[in-house]
Amino acid sequence: MWVYIFRRLLYAVPILLGVSLLVFALIHLAPGDVVDMLVPPEVPREVADLLRRRFALDQPLHIQYLAWLGRLLVGDLGISFFTNRPVADELFSALQNTLMLALPAALLGFALGVTLGALAAFNRGTWLDKLFAATAITGVSLPHYWVGIVLVSVFAVIFNALPAQGMGPPGFPASWEQIKPLILPVVTLSLIPMGVISRLVRANVLEMLSHEFVGALHAKGLLSRRVLYHVMKNAAPSALAVMGLQFGYLLAGSILVETVFNWPGSGGLMNLAIFRRDIPVLSATILVLATIFVVINILVDVLQALIDPRMRR
Amino acid sequence: MVEVPAVPVSPLDAAEAVGRAQQSKGYWQRVRTRLRQDKVTLAMAAVLALLLVMVIFAPYFTLHDPYDGSVLRRLKPVGTPGYWLGTDEVGRDLWSRMLYGGRLSLLAGVVPVASALLIGGFLGTLAGYSGGLVNSAVMRLADVLYAFPSVLLAIAITGILGSGLRNTIIALTAAFVPPIIRISESVTTQARHLDFVEAARASGAGVLMIIRYHILNNVLGPILVYATSLISISIILSAGLSFLGLGVTPPHPEWGLMLNSLRQALWVDPVICAMPGVMIFITSMCFNLLSDGLRQAMDVRL
Amino acid sequence: MLNGKIARFAPTVAAALLLASLSHSAEAGGTLRIAMTASDVPTTTGAPDNGFEGLRFLGYPVFEGLVLWDLSRADKLAEIRPGLAESWEQDKGDRSKWVFHLRHAAKFHDGSDFNADAVMWNLDRYFKSDSPQYDPTGSAIARARNPWVSGYRKIDDYTIEIANPRSLSYFPGALAYLFFSSPAQFQKTGSWAEFAKAPSGTGPFKITEFKPRVSATLSRNEGYWDPHRVPKLDKMVLFPMPEATTRLAALRSGQVDWIEVPPPDAVPSLKAAGFEIVTNSYPHVWPWVMSFGKPDTPWRDVRVRRAINYCANREGLVTLLNGLAEPAAGVYNKTDPYFGHPKEQYTYDPAKAKALMQEAGYGPDKPVKAKIMISTSGSGQMLPLPMNEYLQQNLKECWFDISFEVVDWGTMLVAIRNPPTAPQTLGADAINISLAHATEFSRFATWFLSTTFPPAGVNWANWKNLEFDALVDEIEKSSDPEEIAANIRKAHEVIVDDAPWLFIVHDRNPRAMTKHVKGFVSAQSWFQDFTRVYME
Repeated sequence: MWVYIFRRLLYAVPILLGVSLLVFALIHLAPGDVVDMLVPPEVPREVADLLRRRFALDQPLHIQYLAWLGRLLVGDLGISFFTNRPVADELFSALQNTLMLALPAALLGFALGVTLGALAAFNRGTWLDKLFAATAITGVSLPHYWVGIVLVSVFAVIFNALPAQGMGPPGFPASWEQIKPLILPVVTLSLIPMGVISRLVRANVLEMLSHEFVGALHAKGLLSRRVLYHVMKNAAPSALAVMGLQFGYLLAGSILVETVFNWPGSGGLMNLAIFRRDIPVLSATILVLATIFVVINILVDVLQALIDPRMRR
Repeated sequence: MVEVPAVPVSPLDAAEAVGRAQQSKGYWQRVRTRLRQDKVTLAMAAVLALLLVMVIFAPYFTLHDPYDGSVLRRLKPVGTPGYWLGTDEVGRDLWSRMLYGGRLSLLAGVVPVASALLIGGFLGTLAGYSGGLVNSAVMRLADVLYAFPSVLLAIAITGILGSGLRNTIIALTAAFVPPIIRISESVTTQARHLDFVEAARASGAGVLMIIRYHILNNVLGPILVYATSLISISIILSAGLSFLGLGVTPPHPEWGLMLNSLRQALWVDPVICAMPGVMIFITSMCFNLLSDGLRQAMDVRL
Repeated sequence: MLNGKIARFAPTVAAALLLASLSHSAEAGGTLRIAMTASDVPTTTGAPDNGFEGLRFLGYPVFEGLVLWDLSRADKLAEIRPGLAESWEQDKGDRSKWVFHLRHAAKFHDGSDFNADAVMWNLDRYFKSDSPQYDPTGSAIARARNPWVSGYRKIDDYTIEIANPRSLSYFPGALAYLFFSSPAQFQKTGSWAEFAKAPSGTGPFKITEFKPRVSATLSRNEGYWDPHRVPKLDKMVLFPMPEATTRLAALRSGQVDWIEVPPPDAVPSLKAAGFEIVTNSYPHVWPWVMSFGKPDTPWRDVRVRRAINYCANREGLVTLLNGLAEPAAGVYNKTDPYFGHPKEQYTYDPAKAKALMQEAGYGPDKPVKAKIMISTSGSGQMLPLPMNEYLQQNLKECWFDISFEVVDWGTMLVAIRNPPTAPQTLGADAINISLAHATEFSRFATWFLSTTFPPAGVNWANWKNLEFDALVDEIEKSSDPEEIAANIRKAHEVIVDDAPWLFIVHDRNPRAMTKHVKGFVSAQSWFQDFTRVYME
């Protein structure tokens, strides 16, 4: 088992190297550079070039790449071209803010998904099944950022019950003032995990229920707690695995919801960096998000391997 | 953001799929029978077919040019004579924009998946069949791309290459290729070792023929199911890119772009603003339900 | 029991009532929350980024220059007035040198004095690349707006001299964009990155809280050197909100009191809901800047240029924007003192446009084809897509066949810095870009002088008019304000008649605010004065 884990971790290293190369190549392919965004158009050419030299943008590409890689290995994520603040500080606080959304959204999505999926499967064939299944499909078929806009219009503007945008006071959400701004974005983000998980759970539970002995019991009306427990226990692992991945997606892919809700998270940071061509911030953010995703993938694989040794690749 | 579903393809499942497919003729017969009885899936297929026809033959279904706007006709409500779905923020007929927009949206939905199928399918099958170094190289490439959640990859690529339908298709293809590689590689690897394939090779059958007759046939089922659900994701993702300004550019009609540009008019006419979202939702849902129906009919566990 | 409870609360209630009554006096003015269109909080080091919006919020309220704007009146163009310099004059012997007499009473927020040493130190920050306080980005921003500082020296503790490369009568205006930060505070904090967390300027507000990407809080500076302009507000909190609909939702749900640039479509419902829409006229043109650099440019013939100006239906566009813009017939507004009396008075006159086109040899079978580069968003760009699409339709009737090259804001900025034949221009014949200019002349000149073709400057169009150049030359050399004003008018007339731009509309820089915001005077300027505002 440990050998497997070690192998997976070791394997992640060349992958991350490849990721860094891809990120660097992509970013430096972009037309236009940060100086054009940073200063007004009237800047004379020599001044712009001076600025480019200072940001080491005039060095040959492979030198820039190696220098960046070197700094990364000692934990230096660079300094933002725009704000002169270390990228690590900005990224760290941005990730915390995104975590504030991603974690509750994942939990909410998981809870709702499992409930809906199981209820749908147990009531197979009835209108309840159709209803829950429809809700699940809706979750994955709707453009969720658009749902966010609608929610804001209804709850913030028309009913004036919840804030329209932005984050509340910082820190761990304990007070109502801190929780209020979380509600709408978390609900919006949870739609997709809910949809994905509930479909998965429904399919798995159905499969379990189709085993003869369970079917026989059900027909006799003897769907005891033990059977229920057995069914859920078997459906859980793959649901957890998918949940882990969904959490990774939420953490790394929250950009649309953060745009709608003006949430200062990692998605918003990336959006800003793309727009401003703030290379240190952009490359570090993408790399870190990809790394987190790789780590989550490894954890999920290990989890699955623990449960089902056949799954080891 | 909607994400490409994880593909926990266990070697066992793949082998089962292949095994089942060995009973070729009977299997596909059964699939057809099951589909014919599944009313919901048939209905979805019908709706999609209707949508496709209307979108392709849009000029026959619309009265106005989707690019023709006039500031006097801005944001007219549903039921205006001559513009039965109303007009958008520049005065263009919304019904026309929806139909013509469907062209670009469906294109952005189907083309990346089709390209990914071709590219990923080819690479995965190649890797599975060759084994060894080629296999390693292809799978490592897939893993590097797999390290990015698809929305991150799509945004990074379009954010850097620029907006436009072409870059959107490139970005989404890149996001969908890795899972396809994984599926086809996995299934091919299993099939390669099965008896009848060994026998075929022993009897001197050419590589291509083996692939075509024995392997491809077996991969088709799972791939089809997966692809239809991918199309639904692709539509939503491309709309999201347009929403961020990274996808299709104005003045072209496309549902995601319309979602963004009509957002401003939420206060004037909420119904009109909701419409592109509704279209995306309906189309996406149809593909999802179709995918589910196919999965049930083909009895695929993916 | 109940009595006991009330008795316990009584002092608190009394105190609250007392505070409430106090807050109704003119001194305690409340907290104003503003949503800006910027995508991030502008830098707080005294050299704000994010263009003129950065100057408006993190510039003038907190930091000041030798020269400031008179933002007290809504009925006349905001011009420059003494700021940290009480007066200035050109050296009698050498007109390329300016002497500034500094204000004695000004202090920085950290308590240190403002004097000639502070000025020298700040000028080194912008212009001396080997000084310890050199700030490359700030320097680039400063030099972009002020490329005419060729030297500077201290004469005594409150007098300094700045030298220009040549005699430039409009130089003081350019100093309005150059701000001074506290050298003492910089020494204490050690670097600009640290200074940004605890900034110190001389302005009526001081920055008391700064959360990156979230907000900046400005508080009243009780010790401000101008007793008439000590702010009434207690605090001003600034939020970056780049999405227009997000700003709108924030205003309507009560999260902020004031938003910049509401979406035009929301204006009627905002008014109906009791919010105020504040606009004013000021020179902020939204044009098509025509290219003269391409050999096959369609704009070669002045009749074509005038024709397109007569063909644009500006009123229609204004209707599209619900009154948030007004028709433009030149770079200045018709009501500005510098507008002059050009021969061409551009209004919607398609008959005249068509006549001009036919004279130039065009017609229904031979239209003028042009590709315009437009952006999807950007500072000052208003609503580029619907507005341009409207124009495209509109101009068809005078035989203009317009197509678009849609790019993002960054790409457009790249294009404008390069010559019009460069590949970065993507083959465009004109660019729809709103160029920042204010009511002092230096900016106006840079767009049109033949000496400022890129990469040396920003006359991207490569438009050359010797009469204009000569007028600017005279303006630079003159020192008689009447003569200068007359020449500015003449220069403007040349621009209008020669029509190197399609003058479309003037942005009226709309803001939406709640009825509780009082005392705001919307000056005819890009910048505004927040010191007379208070909350009710």
